[in-house]
Amino acid sequence: MSGRDQAPLYVESPIIMTTVRVVAPFVLTFGLFIMLHGADSPGGGFQGGVIAGSVVMMTAFAFGIDATREWIDARAIVGLTSLGVLTFAGIGLGAMALDGAFLQYDVYAPYISHASKYGIELVELAIGGIVAGVVVGLFFVLSAGFGHADGGEEA
Amino acid sequence: MAISEYAAVALVAGGAFFGLVAAVGLVRLPDVYTRTHAASKSDTLGAVLALGGVALVIDAQLATVKAVFLLLFMFLTNPTAAHAIARAARDQGIEPWTTDDADAGGEP
Repeated sequence: MSGRDQAPLYVESPIIMTTVRVVAPFVLTFGLFIMLHGADSPGGGFQGGVIAGSVVMMTAFAFGIDATREWIDARAIVGLTSLGVLTFAGIGLGAMALDGAFLQYDVYAPYISHASKYGIELVELAIGGIVAGVVVGLFFVLSAGFGHADGGEEA
Repeated sequence: MAISEYAAVALVAGGAFFGLVAAVGLVRLPDVYTRTHAASKSDTLGAVLALGGVALVIDAQLATVKAVFLLLFMFLTNPTAAHAIARAARDQGIEPWTTDDADAGGEP
């Protein structure tokens, strides 16, 4: 159909678009569910983050990678990742500031009820944000391919 | 055994059968389109039947709901993925296998 150096123009498929529209909210909810379940059952931030990040890939496959790249600001991806890192470090170092060890949740107990549980869940959410951001960023960087000089999204 | 357990065994056996059909189709059929055809239909039905058996046999309410959700999404996403693969193959200009290829001899 066309040469290897020139990518064929992407034409959307109504079937794929409809399915992605229906499924995407459920997948995002499922990713959040997995993240929050990391505290007391199988699951956790890493798996949940990958699931949440896969929503962006689904959208990219349905609506075209370039359209999705325009839709999602690169700063949002970097911001999500940075927010995750800051939350994780904040909770961990905050415990040290209160004379505990790194990530010792129970030193927060006088201030917050169920400190360990909320602390773990917040850290899982932070990890999920980091993983989702990195996965989406890597996807956009890889999908830019080798041909484009203006390539990297996060680099 | 309760009647629901017989039903679950029948469902899981049906699921295994259709899974086998999908595997045979994947190995034996000649090109990407026919393989997608075999894998999407039989595999979806096999997975859905097996999950239906699972949903029947577990008593815990929440787990049953999860199994049914899994089943529904399997029904929704599996054929869509097959459609996407076949579409991508068409976009890449892969020619469908015909009987002429068989007459010309050998593997495509």
